[in-house]
Amino acid sequence: MSGNNLVLPIVLWGRTAPTHCISSLLVMDNFSTIITGCHDGQICIWDMTPELEICPRAMLFGHTASITCLAKASACSDKQYIVSASENGEMCLWDVNDGRCIEFTKLACAHTGIQFYQFTIGTEKEGRLLCNGHYPEILVVDATSLEVLYYLVSKISPDWISSMSIIRSHRTQEDTVVAVSVTGILKVWIITSEVSKIQGCQSISFCTFTQSSLLVVCSKYWRVFDAVDYSLLCSVSSENDQAWTGGEFIAADRVIIWTEDGCSYIYKLPASEHYRSDVGKTKEGSIPPLVYSIADRLDKQLLICPPVTRFFFGRREPFHKLLIQGDSAGRLSLWSVPDNSPLQPLSTAAALQVSSTISLQESFDKLSPVSSGIIDQLSALPGQDVPIKVTASVYIPSQGRLVCGREDGSIILVPATQTAIVQLLQGEHMLRRGWPPHRTLRGHRNKVTCVLYPHQISPRYDQRSLVSGGVDFSVIVWDIFTGEMKHIFCVHGGEITQLIVPPENCSTRVQHCVCSVASDHSVGLLSLRERKCIMLASRHLFPIQVIKWRPADDYLVVGCSDGSVYVWQMDTGALDRCVMGITAIEILSACDELAPATVDALSHSAVNLKQAMTRRSLAALKNMATHKLQTLATNLLAVDNADKGNLPKYSHNALVVQAMKTNLTDPDMHVLFFDVEAVIIQLLTEEAQRPSPILVSPETLQKSQAGADKGGSFLANKIFKQVKETMKETIKDLLEYNLTMDTAKLFMSCLHAWGLNEKLDGICLERLGMLRPHCPISFGLISRGGHMSLMLPTFKESLLRQLSLATGLKLTLTDIVGKGTYGVSRAVTTQHLLSVISLANTLMGMTNATFVGEHMKKAPSYLAVFVAWQPLMITPSIVVLEVPPRPGGTPETPRRTLTAPPQPSNPALQAQIKQAATANTSTLPTVTTSPPAAFHNIHSVNEGC
Amino acid sequence: MLNPQRSLSELPKMSAASQVERAVLEEEFNWLLKEEVHAVLKQLQDVLKEASRRFSMPTPGLESQLKQENFILGSSTMDQVKGVLTLQGEALTQADINLKVAKSSQVLHFQFREDKMWKLQQDARNHVNQALWLLGSRDESYHFKTGAEVNKLMDAVMLQLTRARNRLTTPASMTLPELATSGLMKMFTPPMPGDVMVNFYINLSKLCLTVYQLHVLPPNTTKNYRPAGSSVLHNPGAMFELNNNRFEVSHVHKVECVVPWLNDTLVFFTISLQLCQQLKDKISVFSSFWNYRPF
Repeated sequence: MSGNNLVLPIVLWGRTAPTHCISSLLVMDNFSTIITGCHDGQICIWDMTPELEICPRAMLFGHTASITCLAKASACSDKQYIVSASENGEMCLWDVNDGRCIEFTKLACAHTGIQFYQFTIGTEKEGRLLCNGHYPEILVVDATSLEVLYYLVSKISPDWISSMSIIRSHRTQEDTVVAVSVTGILKVWIITSEVSKIQGCQSISFCTFTQSSLLVVCSKYWRVFDAVDYSLLCSVSSENDQAWTGGEFIAADRVIIWTEDGCSYIYKLPASEHYRSDVGKTKEGSIPPLVYSIADRLDKQLLICPPVTRFFFGRREPFHKLLIQGDSAGRLSLWSVPDNSPLQPLSTAAALQVSSTISLQESFDKLSPVSSGIIDQLSALPGQDVPIKVTASVYIPSQGRLVCGREDGSIILVPATQTAIVQLLQGEHMLRRGWPPHRTLRGHRNKVTCVLYPHQISPRYDQRSLVSGGVDFSVIVWDIFTGEMKHIFCVHGGEITQLIVPPENCSTRVQHCVCSVASDHSVGLLSLRERKCIMLASRHLFPIQVIKWRPADDYLVVGCSDGSVYVWQMDTGALDRCVMGITAIEILSACDELAPATVDALSHSAVNLKQAMTRRSLAALKNMATHKLQTLATNLLAVDNADKGNLPKYSHNALVVQAMKTNLTDPDMHVLFFDVEAVIIQLLTEEAQRPSPILVSPETLQKSQAGADKGGSFLANKIFKQVKETMKETIKDLLEYNLTMDTAKLFMSCLHAWGLNEKLDGICLERLGMLRPHCPISFGLISRGGHMSLMLPTFKESLLRQLSLATGLKLTLTDIVGKGTYGVSRAVTTQHLLSVISLANTLMGMTNATFVGEHMKKAPSYLAVFVAWQPLMITPSIVVLEVPPRPGGTPETPRRTLTAPPQPSNPALQAQIKQAATANTSTLPTVTTSPPAAFHNIHSVNEGC
Repeated sequence: MLNPQRSLSELPKMSAASQVERAVLEEEFNWLLKEEVHAVLKQLQDVLKEASRRFSMPTPGLESQLKQENFILGSSTMDQVKGVLTLQGEALTQADINLKVAKSSQVLHFQFREDKMWKLQQDARNHVNQALWLLGSRDESYHFKTGAEVNKLMDAVMLQLTRARNRLTTPASMTLPELATSGLMKMFTPPMPGDVMVNFYINLSKLCLTVYQLHVLPPNTTKNYRPAGSSVLHNPGAMFELNNNRFEVSHVHKVECVVPWLNDTLVFFTISLQLCQQLKDKISVFSSFWNYRPF
């Protein structure tokens, strides 16, 4: 499980697809999934139909550097695991079905190639990963634990391996590893060592068709060798400056070779008996005829780096032979390679047309409705189709407000849950223009690049101050309550890239500063109190990668991207030292020892997120331990209402809105993290604070105090006390909303399985005030170590196709609104069921908890609401029965079955449960549905995700 | 536009820039992509080729082309350890170590076995070659169309160069058992006694030789045993366990010698990294120009 608390992400991707500059790709054995890795460290999972239509499904986050290679990591088809390696030595094992991270590790060395190999030890079969990369020889890693087991070494000139291939021979029953080192020495393990010398080898592959030839592709030529005695059979040089980058056998007598710029050619090898007998005679003489050349894309001038090309063929149905290319624009192109030669004479090569192609952005553009961004309704430009992009954002949990800096220089402050409701759910808010109420700050002349709310990080800052930086080189201080611009700092000579808060124990002068970093490689300390820049450390030669602090020595430590470290004295602004090498590393690590919390990696948003996630869950654990007890104790013991005012508000946030971007140039996308336990605790805390309607007469004063408490600010409280008139209070009721209940409303509405039971949907809409989503919602799954899988908005296209196929009906998006939630994967389903059941259980226990707005509440009776919550706790199990499991998904193990029998389509049982559900809604409850028992069952299911 | 400082200060006004100014900027940017980028790439290639040449390996048959250099490692303050190392390119082909053991006045003498040599800096050489290969893939005839393309190439090159430089500036830190089991111990004739360990490494432009003298800790020692972590240079008193025996480092002798060509390569790496970064900075000056969208 992730952390130890249940956190569910919901993503608002916005209209712009994330940058996905493909660096490696892989097709799973069943040809229904393509995996791509990109230069920014994300991995994208694409669904592929047998008709070769492709649709991106999910994106996996966790790597902090460019993905160098992807490989399958399991042999059996029921368990679809892949392993990914990044250029900084991270390795990660993922489950393809739900994007769960199963294992991860970090080595000092980077891999450039991984091959899966299954060892047979006695009767046991064990998966091994053979890795090569920026280290001598071959590393053998366990495929499940990612532990390094041993090395394959050679005595003669050990060097980096540039490419390797595993040869399986039925004749000798012996498998061999053939590898070529960067200096061009071909090495063979298990049989012999060192055979021949090849310059600048790019790729090596083994003919699985005849099991007797070996193809070696170098940048200037490609050669075919005999796989037994390594004699040269055929050699072809490249023409006109083309650099070959790889190749593969596509049939016994044919090879496909591709170039760096993405062109591919299919050659027919001479008849095998003939060229075998000619060994040594005609080496360079006859060039095998070119059968096909693969048509090149016309718009490839937009590419910023060479594309990746790979060839895959299916060993099972469907017997596809696919050439796949992924490029820097996030585009995948597929060519289905035919088995037979074209009919025309072989003098000119026939052009092979692309079978299917799609880019991430194209698939986003095709969506209807389009994928929504968090404040799209407020960012529409008159006469333009695309809304203004959000370029920087920060969420202020204490106020529930989201601050969004945009590319036109304006900053929008908006209640986060309300704007999320607009984007995700249908309701009366759709009729209001400019809803929800928001504030716009204008001052930057162009794109806002960063926003910071210092009070959130340390209470020593004024809670009115908001700081923003832009591409116009300026840093602006705002008053968020009045919207006033307080001060403009113009001290940097470049775009502001980051704003940071200095640590607690700095000198008092520095404590009231924020630290700004700019693209001209300068760092400034801007005093919010004195309204001036107290220090500017500039003229660093390289971009700033990290800022650390030594408050005791009054030092600001700047780490640059080239590994140099500059130590600045904060008080005087003098450069104390500039060091490199070991000393630099020692200085940086010494700062960590002093204050581990001040670590701030600036280079990558994924790093920040990962750190945030891990830190958050740790803090959460501690909080849980203390607060849970406290709440429980207060609920049990606090009899008089006077005490309830002192009840500490649960500090861990039910909702966190985290802005993310995969690439610095991308606009922000927003992930809403719902902490289920925190939602429940907040609901219970507020319930405890609320005067019980039976004991206390509806006194306006007390009610107002409770309301002010939710606002959480002393100021609001003070004002509130002065304004006691009922008149104003009703207005307040309209505008002021209950943050916790709104969060719960948003969350429950997203999670509910809409469209299963019309009657139940009606109850949810009318009595409980839940709202139906516009379209299936993109959820995510957090797994170990802050790794995360987020569903792309396009997932619903493949879900729609899949469900239509399964039911035989023509379905529309509205039909599958609720099914998306439960069709994804077991881990996700379990989490969602747990969340719905526990939240419904909590809400049921609360007095009159409905999401129907206060102003239009016709006061449904206590009992009616109570009854309405009940079916919500039962329906989820029905959903599990109804949704067919993903084809190729994890098979149902007995341990994992929820209430579902092994045969998911048991109509009798289904009907039974449905009946039970409807019965519960119609008859009066016999309140013995025993929620604790249900809870218990689910918990046992939840292991291993 | 060669001076980025000047042009940076002009940027804020750009949203109000006239058509003429924009046209000039565009022309300037095209010049940068067409001319300047290739000039920088050429310069980078020249510098790196020079660096790579220093690392070149002795190839069989061509040994004579690569001159052997002898380095005498010693220190003025102590004379317990003296070493004469022969460097051929990046490989240590011969080593002569004289060790004066403290307890006896006997001098121990070791040298490399005939058939052995020790590679010092394979990784740095490979990284430089990768950087060269990347640069070579975009020759004069290639036309860069976007700044992003140049940035991507520079990022890839800089990554390799940083790695290469780090190999020289930050020697690998090893644990004592790792050192004891490494191939280095088996390279000497006569074989190293069990209570002596040696390590060679490069730190910046210096070739360093460290000799550790060990003594076995008795099994039932009262001293609390704490194994030492990995480090470049272990201090006397560091302890480790190997083959069920516990050892403690009693003496550490470190001698070093400056290798002039290593210093050159470090300078080359630094220059090329700066060239790359400057090119990126020049490109970034125009970044808001290509991303410009009027509101």
